[in-house]
Amino acid sequence: MELKFTILILNGLTQAAILFVLGSGLTLAFGLMRVVNLGHGAFYMLGGYLGWSVVKATGNWPLALIVGGLAIALLGLLFEKTMLGRVRGRDLPETLLTVALSMIISDICLIFWARTAITLNVPQYLNPPITLLGLTYPGFRYLMMAISIFIAVSLWVILYKTNLGRAVRAGVDDRETVSALGININKIYSIVFVLSALLAGLAGVLGGSYLQLSPGGDTTILTLSLVVIIVGGMGSLLGAVVSSIILGQIMSFGLAFAPQYSYFLIFIPMALVLALRPQGLFGRQI
Amino acid sequence: MSFMRNNTIKSIFYVIATILLVLLPFYVGQYTVTTFIRIIYFGFLSLSMGFLIGQGGMVSLTQTAFFGLSGYIIGLFGVERGLIFPWPDLMAIGAVLILAFLFGIIAMRTHKIVFLMITLAFGQVCWAFAAQNTTILRGWSGIRGIRPFVIYGINFNEYQNFYWASLVLFFLSVFILWRITKSPFGLALNGIRENPKRMAAIGYPVYWIRVVAFLIAAVYAGLGGILAAYNTGIIMPTTIQLSRTIWVLLTVILGGASYFFGPIVGTAIAVWLDVLISGVTERYNLVIGVIFLLIVLFSPTGVIGIFDTLRKDKKFTITNIFSFKKRRYIQKHKRRW
Amino acid sequence: MMKKLLLIVTIVMITSMLLSACGVPAVAPAPAEPAAPAAVGEIKIGMISAFTGLFSGFGEMQKQGAVLALEEANYMAGGKKIVLIMEDDQLDNEQAITKSKKLVEQDKIDILTGMVSGDEGLAVADYMKDKNIPVIPMYSASEDITMREFHPMIVRTTWTGAQSMDVFGYWLATQKGWKKVYQIGEDYSYPWNQGGGFMRGFCRGGGEEVTSVWSPPGSTSDFSSMIASIPLDQGYDAVLYNGGGGDAVNFVKQFVELGYHKKIALIGQSNTFEKPDLDALPADIVGAYSPHHTADDLNTPEWNTFKEAFNKRWGRNPSAASEFAYSSMRVILRAIDALNGDISDKTALVDAMLKVDMTDDPRGPVSLDPKFHAAIGNVYIREVSKAEDGTLYNKGIWTVKNVSQFGPYDPDTYLKQPIDGNTYPPQKCSDFPPEMLEAANIYEFVEFGK
Repeated sequence: MELKFTILILNGLTQAAILFVLGSGLTLAFGLMRVVNLGHGAFYMLGGYLGWSVVKATGNWPLALIVGGLAIALLGLLFEKTMLGRVRGRDLPETLLTVALSMIISDICLIFWARTAITLNVPQYLNPPITLLGLTYPGFRYLMMAISIFIAVSLWVILYKTNLGRAVRAGVDDRETVSALGININKIYSIVFVLSALLAGLAGVLGGSYLQLSPGGDTTILTLSLVVIIVGGMGSLLGAVVSSIILGQIMSFGLAFAPQYSYFLIFIPMALVLALRPQGLFGRQI
Repeated sequence: MSFMRNNTIKSIFYVIATILLVLLPFYVGQYTVTTFIRIIYFGFLSLSMGFLIGQGGMVSLTQTAFFGLSGYIIGLFGVERGLIFPWPDLMAIGAVLILAFLFGIIAMRTHKIVFLMITLAFGQVCWAFAAQNTTILRGWSGIRGIRPFVIYGINFNEYQNFYWASLVLFFLSVFILWRITKSPFGLALNGIRENPKRMAAIGYPVYWIRVVAFLIAAVYAGLGGILAAYNTGIIMPTTIQLSRTIWVLLTVILGGASYFFGPIVGTAIAVWLDVLISGVTERYNLVIGVIFLLIVLFSPTGVIGIFDTLRKDKKFTITNIFSFKKRRYIQKHKRRW
Repeated sequence: MMKKLLLIVTIVMITSMLLSACGVPAVAPAPAEPAAPAAVGEIKIGMISAFTGLFSGFGEMQKQGAVLALEEANYMAGGKKIVLIMEDDQLDNEQAITKSKKLVEQDKIDILTGMVSGDEGLAVADYMKDKNIPVIPMYSASEDITMREFHPMIVRTTWTGAQSMDVFGYWLATQKGWKKVYQIGEDYSYPWNQGGGFMRGFCRGGGEEVTSVWSPPGSTSDFSSMIASIPLDQGYDAVLYNGGGGDAVNFVKQFVELGYHKKIALIGQSNTFEKPDLDALPADIVGAYSPHHTADDLNTPEWNTFKEAFNKRWGRNPSAASEFAYSSMRVILRAIDALNGDISDKTALVDAMLKVDMTDDPRGPVSLDPKFHAAIGNVYIREVSKAEDGTLYNKGIWTVKNVSQFGPYDPDTYLKQPIDGNTYPPQKCSDFPPEMLEAANIYEFVEFGK
């Protein structure tokens, strides 16, 4: 019985890992730019599909991770430069553009990739069964947790230890003043959006290896990432960490004890947060 | 053009349009009438979302859930309990009001983009519940066999009768909503859209005005849901899924969110587009997505906005439709929403 | 300002009406009988399916099968030209009904076919009830289409959810001697029906218990917590995963990753290990059983011909969904042939379909039940195996011939039972109504390929 609970907690952490990578990207873009990227799920899908093609062609999984992430980052850059930038500062058109983009991307995925479920093959050296404390658990899941911790730490370093991060945080508080100080806020916007897209692409490759990719998966992913940032507080990195851990555990234990309502259960913390603290656990009043 | 002449032309237009719409079933095929019924019920839904966006500056993505809720109530009480008209329909509107009130008092504490996300989340909660509740709402299977009634000897199963009934309801509802936007309440709502803090300072109960606007919009979505349930005969979780919500948002933007009639025009165009494209290509979503993108980028005031700009430009000729002048004009007026 | 807008609205309305007048042939309100095609005219077949969205994979395979059958007939039957009109319903009920209306009201189709998911099939069948147009569901497996909600214009040449699973459950209980099975299923009508069939067969064969756990379809991503909750110490003989598509890939992958395939046997429903999803599954599941009406290594001349033609046309191997579409379309074409192209009497058309000789069907001989218009055909018990080139395929091991949608039951007894759901049939075999356990065995297990 104890063994079962250990597995459930580990599962919850694995889920939390993927939720964090997704949610941190979204929350980053939201915090600074006030853009809710509703194309986040589509970015995830496209990243996963690109990674799948790379694995199929070369069999090299780490390369897939890099290609998937960078390709989506590039897409994000193009999208930000050519479209998002044109309507900057008006949140509705910005959001609508991301919606349009997500419709286009998910339809393009239908053209180029199989319409059935596909999954990225993780090579054996990345996925050895690891036995810890008498419990065998797939190595790739530990790797995912490690990657997500690495991402969390890097984001923290970027945000709190570099000049870029200082500018970003200052931009979150007061855009006008930052511009007045001579910092090119547009450039910072681009960097943040690209970073957010990069995270979505990475999440896609990770998710496509640990789960599967199939048409229509983007809305589920988008919903999950939205729940993460609503619970954690929009724009808060710490919030994304905490809420993805909470939600991961809820999903894991929900599937074990009330599977029929497992998907519905993740909305309960969201409802509680909205009713009691609308800005989210670690969000500031908006 | 003198004022009088202009007015006469307009009046003639309205009369002709009304006559054409009323007599529609006599001179077009059945499917065209079906399409107009679709325009009407999606028009309700779109109007509901457009009213909140255009008049109140609130992008609510929960409206589809109200649309679906009234369909579920019709299914639950009309089909499974066998209640007769108008009880299921009244209960549907009642249920929509209750749910909208509950959502409204929470969601109205937030503004702008946060409001959008919270209503999106509410919509997804409703969808998840409908899809996973197998005991009452029948999960993915939904409720089948919803049929319109025979009232006073008029059989609304006949598509013509159903069309006329929907049309009358639609004209009435649009008129009422139009009056609401012109009433002091509507003006207060417009004020809140522009500057909620100032309105609060003047002494308006900003929060409650917004809640009431949300309730009004929900009723319109609910009315559309009733018509849709009767027309399709079935209610399923797919009715309230996210892609539907996004499609409705598209219709609002397509027509022009800042115009009262924008959502209706947008719905008419989008539904006809659906009919025309779907026979030609499977890449329907791609086409829609690109149109959406172009509209947001180049004509944020939608189709009506384009017309309006062209009309205002005195030197308008065929050759300068795509000239830079107009773009500058649009840019100047972009900040409407 | 407002007036101007009204004017514009009016203009748009009128334009759209004009558009409609041009785009849609303006005819008087539909006559009672759908416009019968002229003697030299063409016959229109409407096909409605999910070409985008969650089940688009099945929709595409269905399309390929149907198109192949039409191309083999050169789009001609009974001396008339056949026109196939395809519509995508995006797996959305509102779209499904709208597109059916479009096919019926605007295109004036003579026959409606297609449909992937069970709920979609039920919705369309409900709408088509009073339309006097034959409806031929393809992969949609809800048994009620040809049972409790049957109407005489429906002909189903394919399957119901319970049909293959009843045989499977019975086989496991009698031949393997299994007593307890732990079922994890997707929570919607098609898996309920598959699970229902399985439980009836299993209990009738002497099983004791089928414990069932359900999870929402399409939104559960990580099943490992459900897998970790499987009680390994309570004497279960196997885990039945009752789901298909993306969910099945997730489940099976995680089952293997957590090492459960070494601890307990895994079996599946008809779609779990079906190609092409099978290609995404790990090779460790070799040996897993599942039932279907096709098997990848069928070695009959009919199957080989079909497989070759399909490969030539589409560059891939056929799946059950494409075979079902192919065979449904062939039945339609042959019925039109039998009537020499005169299909004005729709009842006669349905009768002709019921009389079509389907003994040369690629998946094995099929006949149609004259009362409920449902298919009676072979069920194959299959085992996941590894081909020489390392890919997985479903190898047939046993054949049961002439299985009806009611299994061994008398239709009246069967129809008295509630509809399969997530609470019915009961999980313990002892709670079954006795008449459901008493039916005599009519299944004859023949070694595959004999």
